[in-house]
Amino acid sequence: MEPLVTTTSSAATPVADEAVRLERVTKRYGAVVACDAVDLTLRRGAIHGVLGENGAGKSTLMKILIGLVTPDGGRVHIHGQQCDIDDPATAAKLGIGMVHQHFSLVDPLTVWENVALGEEARLRPAQVRTRVAEISEKYGLGIDPDATVGDLTPGLRQRVEIIKCLRRDPSIVIFDEPTSVLTPEESAQLFTTLRRVVADEGRAVALVSHKLDEVLHATDEITIMRSGRVVDRTPTAGTTPSDLAKAMVGRSVSLRSERAAFGAVAATDTVTLEEVAAPDGPVVLTVTESRLRGRDGDIKLDGLSVRVRAGEILGVAGVEGNGQDELVEVLSSLARLDSGEVTVSGSPVVTGRAGAMAAAGVAVIPADRHDSGVVLDMSIAENLVLVEPSQVAARGLMDPGRMRAHATRLIDEYEIACPGPDAPMWSLSGGNQQRVVLARELSCEPVVLVAAQPTRGLDVGAIEFMGSQIRAAAERGVAVLLISSELEELLELSHRIIVLSDGQIAGEMQRDEVDMDRLGLLMGGSAA
Amino acid sequence: MSVDADTSVAGPTTVTPTSPQVPSRFSSWSEIVVLYAISIFGALAISALLVTVTGGEWRSVFSALLDGSLLAPGRWGTTIGSATPLLLVALGTIVNAKAGYVNIGQEGQLLIGGGAAAFVGVHLGGPGPIVFVAIVLAGIVGGALWAGIAAGLRNWRGVPEVLTTLLLVSVASQVIGLGFRSESFLLAPITEGSGTQVSQTLQMPDGVRIPRITIFGNEFPVSVFAAVVFAALLALVLTRTVVGFRLRMLGANARTAMRSGVDSVRVGSAAMLISGGFAGLAGTVMLLGGDFGGYRFSPGFSINFGWTGLLVALVARERALAAVAVSFVFASLMTGSGFLAATGVERRITDVVQALLVLALLIPPAVLFVRTRRRAAAAREART
Repeated sequence: MEPLVTTTSSAATPVADEAVRLERVTKRYGAVVACDAVDLTLRRGAIHGVLGENGAGKSTLMKILIGLVTPDGGRVHIHGQQCDIDDPATAAKLGIGMVHQHFSLVDPLTVWENVALGEEARLRPAQVRTRVAEISEKYGLGIDPDATVGDLTPGLRQRVEIIKCLRRDPSIVIFDEPTSVLTPEESAQLFTTLRRVVADEGRAVALVSHKLDEVLHATDEITIMRSGRVVDRTPTAGTTPSDLAKAMVGRSVSLRSERAAFGAVAATDTVTLEEVAAPDGPVVLTVTESRLRGRDGDIKLDGLSVRVRAGEILGVAGVEGNGQDELVEVLSSLARLDSGEVTVSGSPVVTGRAGAMAAAGVAVIPADRHDSGVVLDMSIAENLVLVEPSQVAARGLMDPGRMRAHATRLIDEYEIACPGPDAPMWSLSGGNQQRVVLARELSCEPVVLVAAQPTRGLDVGAIEFMGSQIRAAAERGVAVLLISSELEELLELSHRIIVLSDGQIAGEMQRDEVDMDRLGLLMGGSAA
Repeated sequence: MSVDADTSVAGPTTVTPTSPQVPSRFSSWSEIVVLYAISIFGALAISALLVTVTGGEWRSVFSALLDGSLLAPGRWGTTIGSATPLLLVALGTIVNAKAGYVNIGQEGQLLIGGGAAAFVGVHLGGPGPIVFVAIVLAGIVGGALWAGIAAGLRNWRGVPEVLTTLLLVSVASQVIGLGFRSESFLLAPITEGSGTQVSQTLQMPDGVRIPRITIFGNEFPVSVFAAVVFAALLALVLTRTVVGFRLRMLGANARTAMRSGVDSVRVGSAAMLISGGFAGLAGTVMLLGGDFGGYRFSPGFSINFGWTGLLVALVARERALAAVAVSFVFASLMTGSGFLAATGVERRITDVVQALLVLALLIPPAVLFVRTRRRAAAAREART
């Protein structure tokens, strides 16, 4: 690896009490740059917040630190020594520990058994149990080494994870989204623990989060990432939530210039906000008081109600995992509501019954097309008639000629680059697979279109095509529900934007009154 | 790597430079032929070596296999008689496999189907044709219900059907054993003259037996024609009908299928019932065809035909028409072994020879399967 020229950035300059120094660390996945010349310094005895939206590159950066991901470029210094962290074992030897976002605990085992898992040395139950009790007491975690993990609340399970991490006495601790499963009270307790870990023992802590308030309350310094780059670096004292929100979701932009820059509107600048006011057509899609628990018992939809009018594009903003996936699943007939109702064009539709939503005229572009959008092992032509095979069939017999003609027409119309209608779906690029989904869903003449992260992973041209297709559908009178983590996309297309948080609507605004600061705060989970 | 980059400017149907070679869903024929040639030649070579090393004459082993299955007078008729139930089991297996459900309990379903058929045949009197229809229905329903238990458990409690179908094989033989405890079920009454009571049923009456025809000195039951017609129909249903399309959709991506209106519980259960029904039908034609057990049902009646039928479906790579040929090949291996004893080569060695040949038939489809998976996975990987 060719050493890169060190810039004189403040973070890349060695400081006295540094524990970790990353210099111009870069990681690419294909065309996507997850981390773009990132500098980061963690100091002993300090908590460093790494703030950013989903996909900003925070997690990749942390994975580089613990050896799960090898960087393409840049240098890593641990306690002043340059190191190559090739695997997690190396990271552990260097004293780097991580408390993961998702628990890796075995439910039927006790706490000490879970802690002992993955240890390479001989198992000494008494010793492990004593150590667990010691750590628990020292940090006030209140964990009984003999409790069964399956009986613990999420908050207590996380403490078990923390014990697992601290047991190895790491000098550098990384917390990845630690509060995503915690109640506010549990989070507060967690941060008390965190303070103790740092202040008394001089450990260096990185707190990775997308929640503004917790980063503000718990950290000493903050690095803000956006699209793989560090956009801001600031001491926590002296910053405000609104500054952070602005940095996190992008500059405080004027709406019109954003739209023009995005290339969707003619640069003549004649489009005024009045002209894109929400249409007042009849309400086509209603979701009323929907409640849904996930398989793990978490509440995913908490009394969520949504109404979309014909011709309206309703944007759904929010950090991922706040109920968006479940909302799409319900509208794809993949999940059944525990309570609540969905109506399409005034008629109730049974949730969770195979094909009921599609039959009622709800088209869906799923966030993960491989999960519920396409059948990779079938041909393109077959994928184009998944929902309504009867359109190319007579008396139950499919007509290959008609199917191919149908496919050829849509391939033409939606500019799907492919060897031909009989090529298997898996041979297409992601963007062209997405076009197949779009073509199929729109060709069924839907009354509702649910588009979840429709442009994720697509290039500029494909993004523009998708956007114009969605807008054209709305102009034809389709009620569109656009779920996206890209604020630009929401701002560009939506008439109205709601923000989801914990399965509820945290806020709602018309496009012409969108306030980026407020949007960022709502997304970050701060009350606004 | 820029596989992900989508060229929206490229016109429709153009092959972009990043698109892979024109992919075919079917591996080319030459590829398959070469694979089979290599693996069968390999198996023959190893077999020849084995027989020679243990002091046998390898030529006589192979010619015995050929004579027993095809060349000796009347033998290919016998082979057809064995191929028929194998084909039926394989067709059922193709149905559940296409729907993404696993059924590896055909051995038990075949046994239960045969038992139910025998029960009706023994106890129901009346005009031959009516009894015949009743027997066949009983066989189909028996096999279907046995597979239905597994489908029900999966839908009710999420019990993996790969386990239940397998375990139900043992249960099936216990149930049949129980049936032979009493003359009011399956056990044939003691006839005067013979002192011991054998675990078998009475013979099926003449009027319900499947007619046998003789062509060039080869005699076999006409049920083979029905089985081949079923194979053709199944191929048509799977490739050309909406029902078959939705079944395949379920097997290839259950969530996409559900969103598109395919109820996995209903369609999947139906596939399992059909699969078990075919196995039950196989048991029935074995009972009524005359090649097995002299029109009598007995506890060991299934003689591994369920397992072998499963292999036929695997080797045919879930294609109904290919299963016709493959079932004949497997039947040849079975009937060919009848002449092996005369070669003087040890039984243990000839068993290994047969196993090697079966293995040789299984390797090419396995290779093709793994490679297709890898190719698809690689394509997916490159795209995410």
